[in-house]
Amino acid sequence: MRTYLYDGSFESFLTALSLALEGQEECSLAREGGAGAEAGLFSEFVNAGADPARAGAMRDLFEERGSAESWHHARYAFLSEAAGAEDAVLAYARLVKEKGAAADDMLADLRVKKVHDLSRSVGGEAHMFKGFVRFKELADKTLYAKIEPDHNILPLLTGHFRDRLGEFNWIIHDARRNKAALHSGGRLIYAPISQAKALEFAGREAAVQELWRHFFKTAAIKERTNPRLQRQNVPLKYRKHLTEFE
Amino acid sequence: MDLQRKLEILADSAKYDASCASSGSSRGGRGTGAAHQSGVCHSWTADGRCVSLLKILMTNECVYDCAYCVNRRSNDAPRAVLTPDEIAGLTFEFYKRNYIEGLFLSSGITVSPDRTMELMLEAVRKLRETFRFNGYVHMKVIPGADQALIDQAGLWADRVSVNIELPSDKSLRLLAPGKTKDTVLRPMNRLAQRIAAHKDEVRTIKSSPAYAPAGQSTQLIIGATPETDREIMKLSEALYGKMALKRVYYSAFVPVMKDNRLPALREPPLLREHRLYQADWLLRFYGFTADELLDESHPALDLNFDPKTVWALNNLDKFPLEVNKASYEEILRVPGVGVTSAKRIIRARRAGPLQLDDLKKLGVVMKRAVYFVTAGGKYGGIKKETEDAIKVKLLEHKNPNGQLDLFGEKELVKEGLEATVTGQL
Repeated sequence: MRTYLYDGSFESFLTALSLALEGQEECSLAREGGAGAEAGLFSEFVNAGADPARAGAMRDLFEERGSAESWHHARYAFLSEAAGAEDAVLAYARLVKEKGAAADDMLADLRVKKVHDLSRSVGGEAHMFKGFVRFKELADKTLYAKIEPDHNILPLLTGHFRDRLGEFNWIIHDARRNKAALHSGGRLIYAPISQAKALEFAGREAAVQELWRHFFKTAAIKERTNPRLQRQNVPLKYRKHLTEFE
Repeated sequence: MDLQRKLEILADSAKYDASCASSGSSRGGRGTGAAHQSGVCHSWTADGRCVSLLKILMTNECVYDCAYCVNRRSNDAPRAVLTPDEIAGLTFEFYKRNYIEGLFLSSGITVSPDRTMELMLEAVRKLRETFRFNGYVHMKVIPGADQALIDQAGLWADRVSVNIELPSDKSLRLLAPGKTKDTVLRPMNRLAQRIAAHKDEVRTIKSSPAYAPAGQSTQLIIGATPETDREIMKLSEALYGKMALKRVYYSAFVPVMKDNRLPALREPPLLREHRLYQADWLLRFYGFTADELLDESHPALDLNFDPKTVWALNNLDKFPLEVNKASYEEILRVPGVGVTSAKRIIRARRAGPLQLDDLKKLGVVMKRAVYFVTAGGKYGGIKKETEDAIKVKLLEHKNPNGQLDLFGEKELVKEGLEATVTGQL
């Protein structure tokens, strides 16, 4: 079976998707160096590269043949970085190509459900992190936050924080993917980042954190203590970078 | 007193207010902060309640002596006051670290209602003007304050609220000397008028400054006084209808104060509170009326079953419903179907007829819905459905050990608590 490899970027993924859609035979998509990219006895690998024209055509397929909603789901499912997401989007793209916008009505069809579920999971995590990002003030007044989300949601957070903290310089660092969104002087860039030197915090940072932790502890009603409900809402995996649980 | 101690005292006194929402407003613009239409939760405390706002009192000093309230004058507790500068500064420091969506400011009555309201307004004005803060602000309105001061609250805040606390005039007189139904409802009514007037105004003058864009809410304490669930739901229904309230919060009475006018509860009635939230959701999103859910011969919500299931069991002649034909409004009334899954059913059946197996994929909770629906004429419930037979089946699900314990309060209480406190069905 033929597998189209993409380099990890969305553009390359869309290129691979476009190549896979051209052939009628069964094929697969995988990220270079990722699971599914290991050689099997009958596998054949093709590097898709990144072709803006092909990527644009894929966008048109989702947006024009499908709808704004189809494009949204395809994009979000890609950001899930979940195992099998690539092939799920491929099957979904085939269906959109065949049925057009009506594909998204087929909610009980597993090809649609799989991609919608992935998309919802990504949208849900992105919404949660609008609440879970915790900034710490550095000595130069930059606000710095470290996150480790399951999905690649950083690009979905930046608009939200630009709206709110547009007058501040800030960094949101996805430590799981070693990349960061840097907002400086009103401009936003994405950059690879690895924790190099120890961070130097602003003088009153520790005191503000302490105030917050006290507030958080006090706000719970003792007679209603319910750690299960708390865990359901703030899963343990997210607590590592939450100031109030530090 | 240092800031940390003050914050502790004033957060401790504010925590019994159930309101946590930061939704319903989409403020933004120059300065710092914005409000998010759907609201954002930032954390959840050890009791599983969402933290979205810095919820504090300006002061816990109070001239009133309400029996249920931890801040009552006769309670020998440490008192603290935050200045407008401290309140604004703290909100801003917390906000820029993304701990919170904004401020929830309430207060005990210090000196007089007018003086209290003036100081609260000063704090919020500072936050808006000096810090140019565009995040969410929920302001309590102090009953008895001058109308001009009450009017100002809606200009600075996203949401305004007056707590009714006790669901009848009789209970207010008994437990809250100094408050009457009238003193509570008057400011609420005034705010409702101002909000409605602003909505009219925006139609002709687009630039008219916002007035409490996230509307008005209130809170009722549950279990401190003898009002029935029916009386409470009728009151909520009237508040949603006549006062156009956005939310009514229900707060299970926590017996923090000993008083011979108060019932001796061992623990707060959390399951009852949960059922009230479910019923409240049915009023607001499911097209039910209070009379459909509770009548004079059944004035209390059933603790064993959610109110929609109880309604369905009392109306078995309307079921089972064919999901391929029924209207959206009818589908919404099926136990185990929420707003999202009802919308999905309507959408998915455009693409082709639905089978019973499909419903689960659409998010329907089949262990409840199975007794009430058919798909393509197929029924998956028990053959001769009677109210009792379905009840037995539904209870079996709650007790996986196979022992049928109709009054297994413990299990049920747990179930009630696991569901979110906000009462999502």
